[in-house]
Amino acid sequence: MTATLGRFLILASVFVSAAGSMVAFAAGRKRSLDGLKMARRFAYGFAALMVLATIVMEFALLTHDFSVGYVAQVGSREVPTWVTIVSLWSSLEGSILFWGLVMGFYIAGATWLTRGQHEEYMPFAIGTWLACATFFSFLIAGPANPFLSIPNPQPDGPGPNPLLQNHLLMIIHPPFLYLGYVGMTIPFGFACAALLRGRLGHSFLRPLRSALLLPWIFLTIAIMLGGWWAYEVLGWGGYWAWDPVENASLLPWLTATAALHSAIVMERRGVLKGWTVTLVQASFLLTILGTFMTRSGVFNSVHSFTQSSIGPTILVFFSAALLFTVVLLALRVDSLESEGKIDSAVSREGMFLVNNLFFVLLTFTVLIGTCFPLIVEAVKGKQMSVGRPYFDSMVVPIGTALLFLIGVGPALPWGRATKQQALRSLSLPFVSGVVVATIGYAAGARNPWTLLTLLFGGYAGWVTLVEMWRGGTKTLRRGRRRFGSYVVHAGAVIVLVSIAVSSTMRTSKEVRLTRGEAANIGPYTVTFLVAEERTEPHRQSTIARFAVTSNGKAVTTLEPRMNQYAMMREPIGTPDVHSTLTRDLYLSIMNIDPNSQTVGLMMIITPMVSWIWIAVLMMGVGGLIALIPVRTPSLVLREVKDPLGEDAIPV
Amino acid sequence: MNRTVLIVGSAIGLALVAVLFLSLGNDPSHIDSPLIGRPAPPFALKAINTGEMIDIARLRGKPVILNFWATWCVPCYQEHPVLVENAQRIGSNVQFVGVVFNDSEDKINAFLRQRGSAYPTLLDEQGKTAIAYGVGGVPETYFINPKGVIVAKFAGPMTTEVLQANLSKAMQ
Repeated sequence: MTATLGRFLILASVFVSAAGSMVAFAAGRKRSLDGLKMARRFAYGFAALMVLATIVMEFALLTHDFSVGYVAQVGSREVPTWVTIVSLWSSLEGSILFWGLVMGFYIAGATWLTRGQHEEYMPFAIGTWLACATFFSFLIAGPANPFLSIPNPQPDGPGPNPLLQNHLLMIIHPPFLYLGYVGMTIPFGFACAALLRGRLGHSFLRPLRSALLLPWIFLTIAIMLGGWWAYEVLGWGGYWAWDPVENASLLPWLTATAALHSAIVMERRGVLKGWTVTLVQASFLLTILGTFMTRSGVFNSVHSFTQSSIGPTILVFFSAALLFTVVLLALRVDSLESEGKIDSAVSREGMFLVNNLFFVLLTFTVLIGTCFPLIVEAVKGKQMSVGRPYFDSMVVPIGTALLFLIGVGPALPWGRATKQQALRSLSLPFVSGVVVATIGYAAGARNPWTLLTLLFGGYAGWVTLVEMWRGGTKTLRRGRRRFGSYVVHAGAVIVLVSIAVSSTMRTSKEVRLTRGEAANIGPYTVTFLVAEERTEPHRQSTIARFAVTSNGKAVTTLEPRMNQYAMMREPIGTPDVHSTLTRDLYLSIMNIDPNSQTVGLMMIITPMVSWIWIAVLMMGVGGLIALIPVRTPSLVLREVKDPLGEDAIPV
Repeated sequence: MNRTVLIVGSAIGLALVAVLFLSLGNDPSHIDSPLIGRPAPPFALKAINTGEMIDIARLRGKPVILNFWATWCVPCYQEHPVLVENAQRIGSNVQFVGVVFNDSEDKINAFLRQRGSAYPTLLDEQGKTAIAYGVGGVPETYFINPKGVIVAKFAGPMTTEVLQANLSKAMQ
């Protein structure tokens, strides 16, 4: 009964989204306001159906209705209620339904917020959103149906993926990622609408930018949560491995970041319209490509548990969306004419252009590196991967250059900088850069890239702080968007510096200890207290307990462990970390024998790791501050040099 | 019509889509065991259910299906009836051997009593045999031809189709 109701709701959502999309496009062609009104109703209808379908699924999960296919697959009477609730996104079918729910919220929200406005664009935007919604509804109705009926249901089920129960971050990482990925559909719809209408007026820039900024915030935090999870769980002491699925989340983030910057030039100078629209569309396409990378199983990844058979279906959708985008751009991009021009390369807008160039270069670098194993296999039939050295050698110089731009861009004026202005903007903050680099050198930094990052980080940090507080309290009232953007920049500076320091200045030591023995690393003495086995309903754990002291004073007790889940072929190690603002002590078990009370232990000290998590959250908060609307008159294209104006946004 | 956009966009898009389509169905985590084509590493262990001593070197002359498993592994529960059913059907021509890895005798006996057995089950107490075969996780099954050479390895729960396909390699 529940399964039948769920299937009915999903089939209805396929119909509503498909019909709504057609109605919306027809309304766009005929410029019919009645048609637009009807399309809006279809958009709300789709969202309502997705909410209802999700409620039905949660009801089935909570009542342990094992006659519903998805509940039989991930449900269990043994797991706690909170695990049952979040198991909605623990496996493919449920997570695609969750995707549909998020899409419903986004489409309904964007439709509601644009009511009575932008009527020339909105039919095409709603039509595009609902066309995407049709595909995902179809996916839920067919290839990834969570509402299949099970004729002879079992009394109990296996429970969700053990990884979901292994760490809290695994529960919150997927929703953030979906909010980032799915949200890119909204700016994509706006960009397609601008192209289909053949113009991109100034009043339409604000919704386009806000629609891009919101998923960007979620994606930024999702990437960080993924890295944090890898750090806390995988046991090798790192947070980023250039894994294809990590790259999949980074790719749309890079193009969306570039688009957020080029949108500012578009707003200030009336140029780069076609380019910005292209970046927005690329961001959406890269989210679909990312979904394919995660779900198809053709990439070798730590996320191989998310593989499924829907790869070909997603690839067909990706190909269709790509074809549509390329043809639409080719036909219409010339209609988005520039209204102004860039006067000089040595100016703020010039730096925006360089910034965009670097972001696109970074996107292609990561995309090629990720797809390289597939290319080699397709051409030569051999398995090969480019690995970390390729990514590090390509990404580190570009990342360092971007850090420099965070400093130099906002220091230059719009329009054309005089030689004196350029020199003044470059020279004074460099003093701060030299001071930071010197402190780094005194603290032991010797890697040239780290020292360069510290130099540029100190420089960019100074410029950011000066620009952030210019105008005092007026900034917060009038220039919230500008202030928020500088908070994002400050976060980005800290992230880049922390990545450079933590990846080049870590120390590690492998030791073998028997009970009662101790080993030293940095300021810490780590004493092996005991190894014990613990049996829980869903896993068997072997836990090693260590006392950590520093200069004879007790610091903490750490308990890294090896967990063997019944559903997994290999055990999962769970390291334990003692985090402080300056450094982390990370203990990870390599092997353990409770009978002889011996343990093979990896001890790692990594400086500044906590700052990565803090600074990414800061970027998210900055994004939110920039997102809050400010009550100002509609923007008018002008050449102003008002640093406190609503439009004065940093590079 | 902007031809540059069309040409550049199509070139990048086509290349990407072509590579992705060609990759569909590939399993990047599949790496053949380096032991394939080499003699099976020797071992001699006592069967806990039949009491007989099994020396892999003495099993030559018949194909051998060597299955590594454990009572704590759920996929092993799934494949057990498949292995027992096949052993009962073709056990006179093929030698089935189970090696239990990282487990206790009591648990194995309880498992076999409850779910039946049709071939010798050995206990690899210190995991030396599993290490010699390069077992990455359980279940894993090795197919050895009558000359004592490993011809195939399968990681994951066994099905009759996979078993027959790999056994035909061992029969050649």
